[in-house]
This record gives sequence, C-alpha cells and structure tokens, in this order.
Amino acid sequence: MHNLLDFLRKYNYVFLFLLLEIASFVLLFRFNNFQGSVWFTSANAVVASINGVYGDVVAYLNLQTVNRDLTQRNIVLQQQVEQLRLALDRAGHDSTYTEQRIAEILSEYQMIPARVVSNTSRGTNNYLVIDQGEKQGVRPEMGVVGGGGVVGIVYLVEANHSLVIPVTNNKSSISCRVRGQNYHGFLQWDGGSFRRAHVDDVPRYAEAKVGEVIETSGYSSMFPPGIFVGRVRKVSNSPDGQSYRLEVSLGTDFSNIRDVSVIATPHKAELDSLYHRADLNMPAE
Amino acid sequence: MIQTILSRIGWFLLLISLQVFVLNHIHMLGYATPMPYVYFLLILPNNLSRWVWVALGFFLGLIIDVFTNTPGVASASLCATGLLVPFLLKTFTPTDKEEEVFIPSSRTLGRMRFLSFAALSSLVNTTLYFVIELFSFYNWASLLIGIVGSWVLTLLFIIALESLRSAAKKK
Repeated sequence: MHNLLDFLRKYNYVFLFLLLEIASFVLLFRFNNFQGSVWFTSANAVVASINGVYGDVVAYLNLQTVNRDLTQRNIVLQQQVEQLRLALDRAGHDSTYTEQRIAEILSEYQMIPARVVSNTSRGTNNYLVIDQGEKQGVRPEMGVVGGGGVVGIVYLVEANHSLVIPVTNNKSSISCRVRGQNYHGFLQWDGGSFRRAHVDDVPRYAEAKVGEVIETSGYSSMFPPGIFVGRVRKVSNSPDGQSYRLEVSLGTDFSNIRDVSVIATPHKAELDSLYHRADLNMPAE
Repeated sequence: MIQTILSRIGWFLLLISLQVFVLNHIHMLGYATPMPYVYFLLILPNNLSRWVWVALGFFLGLIIDVFTNTPGVASASLCATGLLVPFLLKTFTPTDKEEEVFIPSSRTLGRMRFLSFAALSSLVNTTLYFVIELFSFYNWASLLIGIVGSWVLTLLFIIALESLRSAAKKK
C-alpha cells in the first residue's frame, strides 16, 4: 500500500499527463469534425466487424424461417402474376372487326365473361368447360360467343363451372342464315377439321356465294340474330339432293379457344327473336 | 518570488498575444506556422515538479486552441511536450550545474546546449501538433512540409526571443 502510494506520488505527473491528454483528445474529437469522424469510423469498424459476425450467425440460424417465408411469398406472387397476366390478356387484346360487331350486337345483353378451362375433344363429341357457373348466373341453354363468333350452347351447369356444347359437336345444331338473306339452315358439324362445319337445308333458290358471311338467324332464343359464325367456303348439294349444303369456315378456332362470353339475358334474346320473326312476317311497306 | 510569478504571467500573455495576433496569420508554404509559445516551457526553473510542466503546457495549449479554433490540438501536443521538456532539460544540463537551481537560457546552459534543447523541444511540439491536426499520414508530404517549416520558423522566433531576453537581462 505504501509502495503504491509512493509510486503514485513519484509518477503523479504521468497520471496528470494522461488525464490532460484524455481531456485534449475529448476536445479534439468533440469539436473537430474531421478528427471526430476518423475516431468514430475507426472505433466503429471494430464494433461493426463484431456485429457483422454476430449478424451472420443469427441470419444463418434464421435461414429456415426465412426460406419458408420466401417460398410462401413466392407462391403468392406467382398467383398474383398469373392473375395479372390474365387481366392483361383480357385488357390488351386487340379486337377484330368480328369482335367489334359482336360487341355491338350484344351491347344490350348482359354478358358473363368466362374462361375455357377444359377443352375436350373425343372424336365428334366435344365439350368445353368454362369457369363460370350457376353462382355467376349461367343457366342451361344460354348461348356462348367468343372473339371469333359463335362458340356453342351451355348444356350443364354446376356451381362455378358450366359445360358447353360447342359448334364442333355433332349434337350441336344452331339456326343460321346467310347475311342479307332470310333463308336459314342449321349449322352442323360431323367431325373432321375444327375449323369447318356446314349448313344444311338451305333452299336451292337461296343465292349463296362463296365468301358470304354466315350469321345466327335469331330463330332460337339462344343467340340474337346477326352474330358471326363463319364464311361460306363451298356450296354443294345436300345428300338428299333437295337443297344446298354450305360448307362454312368457322370464325372460332376451337382448338385454341380461351376467352368467351355467355349471353345471360335469354328473355331479351327471346324477345328479339319474336320481333325479328314478326318483322319477317310483316315486312315494312 | 512575486516578481518571478509576474514575469511568468508576462511571458505567458506575451507569447499568447504574439501567437494569436501575429503568428497564426503566417502560413508559409501553405502550412508552416511559427509556434514559439513552446518557449514558455523552456524557460521554467529546473527545480519545478514535473506535473507543473504538464499542467502549464496543457493550459497554454488550451488557450491557444481557443483562439485558433483547433480545440484539443495545441493542448494535446503541448501537454505531451511538457512531459518531455524536463527530461530534455536534464539531458542538456551541464554536469556542473546539475545540483543548482537555474532558469534555462543561452547563458546558463550555454548557447549550443540551449539551442539543441529548444530545437528538440520545438520539434517534438510541432511534430505532435501537425500529426494531431492532420490526423492522417496520407498526405505525408504536406505533413512533412508543415512539420519542418514550422519547426524552422519556431526555432528562429525562439532564438530571437532568447536574444531579446538575454539582452534585457544584461542591462
């Protein structure tokens, strides 16, 4: 103890020196930006490297959670991208003349936009399944149209999906006419190319030419009159020889069909059909 | 005794005024500033306790700092110089004077010894000053110019002050 006090007394100037130097450097670092910044950066470099190692370890231990979160997030984002892609498809699709015309005709009808989720082709017995059903207002016997024209008729309805009999089904029969003429026949398909069908029972005195437009006649309540079906490809005789058979190039590509609309106002179509038939029977003077 | 203290205070104020009003405005070669205030530590009696040098160095430096806007730089360097000056003084004291109490001067120590003592002390002070002020060895060339230039200028001022003092003593 005595020695310690002696030591302190003997070297008191060294302690004073250290004290005053500390005071000086406190002043230096406190009041001089440059020296202060050097002090803080170099002092922090040590702290930062230790913190960095600690952070690395913690990050490594957390990787499992992070990974799980990322996977979940990734799934959510993928779903979002898919939804947005669909929305973009629908929004950014250039409308063709046929589409514009169909939209014009159908503007007064309530339309249910739908998407083809399944496109079965079993020889001549083809079906489409769309992602709109009873909940969205789809009922059996409603007409379905697409960008290329008539697609088919709703046959069975589930809560959220519906089965559509397309034109390319041999049970399908849709009343059609040549644009500008009132003679009508029934659009039928009996296998073969998905892009071709035929209209039978066109009277021989109807003047059908190759390239003329085939549209819905309005004689059924499913489609309003005037919706594009296809164009006459060839005019030939019916098997029975009594009438013409018009071979039709279909406007809709059934092997590549995505977005369709269900015509959801059957009564309106019915009324339109009635008016149309009344007009035919009582031509304006 | 009172006269000694008064003369110390006079030197103290003289050196500070000289530094603050004149010498701080000299920047030869852009860096070299004479700092003869270290002279105050050189002319303290050799029988003082060492802590007095340290403390006086610190306070002198602190006042210089306040006037030159370099907080801590002069006080740190002069405080360290104050730690070394008594040691240097002992080194340059002639053997026949070791037992005596004296005030260092060119007369008591001898011209060359006093010059060497002043040169080493001021070298220590200027070196510390510039190292602390620049706080990096990156611009080592400018650091060197500052140290050597200031050192030489300081030494010239110390010689001038010393000759003034000895002339006054002779009268």
